[in-house]
Amino acid sequence: MATINATINVTSTDLTSSPLTLSKTMTMTKAGTKTGLEFTSGLVTRKLTSVTQIDLVPTGAQVYGTPTVNAADGSTVSAGKLYIKNTGSSSVDFVTIGLGDATGGEELDDGSSQITLGKLYGGEWMLIPYHGLANVGDVLAKPSTAEPMTIEWMLFFE
Amino acid sequence: MATTTNTLLLESTDLFDDSLSISNTSTCYKAGTTIGLDQTTGLTRTYVTATTQFDPFPVVKGTTNANENGKVYIANLSEDETEFITVGIGDLVIGKLYAGDFMWMPWSPKAQHVNDIEITPSVATGMNIEFMSIHNFANIYPNSADS
Repeated sequence: MATINATINVTSTDLTSSPLTLSKTMTMTKAGTKTGLEFTSGLVTRKLTSVTQIDLVPTGAQVYGTPTVNAADGSTVSAGKLYIKNTGSSSVDFVTIGLGDATGGEELDDGSSQITLGKLYGGEWMLIPYHGLANVGDVLAKPSTAEPMTIEWMLFFE
Repeated sequence: MATTTNTLLLESTDLFDDSLSISNTSTCYKAGTTIGLDQTTGLTRTYVTATTQFDPFPVVKGTTNANENGKVYIANLSEDETEFITVGIGDLVIGKLYAGDFMWMPWSPKAQHVNDIEITPSVATGMNIEFMSIHNFANIYPNSADS
């Protein structure tokens, strides 16, 4: 096992009438235990040069291993975490991050489609849980521009 | 406008032979601008006592604001490592947040029901959850009807 800590700090002095200060640290553990996650994809760097959507984080067996999935029937569970960052500095160009079947339709609300999570502009990051189920667990990325855009991601899994 | 910064530190001394240390700081801007997001749902802490799925940020789209953008923070404050919440968006599962876990992600709701955030607790014995959205959407109603 390993000890992997993630800390988030969100601060603002003028979003609300009183200052906002949020700080939370988590230790990434295996599902339902206090044992630390021990595997990672490593920090992956992808340079994207078209507006074509790609399957950024495919499910199933990969060169870095096979993440345990959260099976629908509960036969296996996981508490993987996925970090993604748009390393650019543009406040105009972004990458749209989605979830679901890379070959499915978009926003169909039928259990088999792709759903847009949101947009990462230059310098922005996200950290979400990862369940890894085939197809519906694919993490998709679509740049807004064909100008080179570099995306970093890192999966922590069991 | 407001200035809201978010910072992430990812650290480990034993995941690799060498240490892992990633640090990122960004500012929450309206889409395509350097103007800060100026609305928030506030940081909500709720004690859930049912395994019923609920929607922490119901969206009733219709009107839109220019340069819409949003961020979502959700944390499971439980101290029982077996307890989790399943976080979904629309009809898809994003993943499970076990005790002490948090998530932070961008959010671009398009229409009611389609990509609403959904939370389902794993137990009915009581669990504290925190959530907050920072955004500039026209319509997020904490008490609106939704599914």
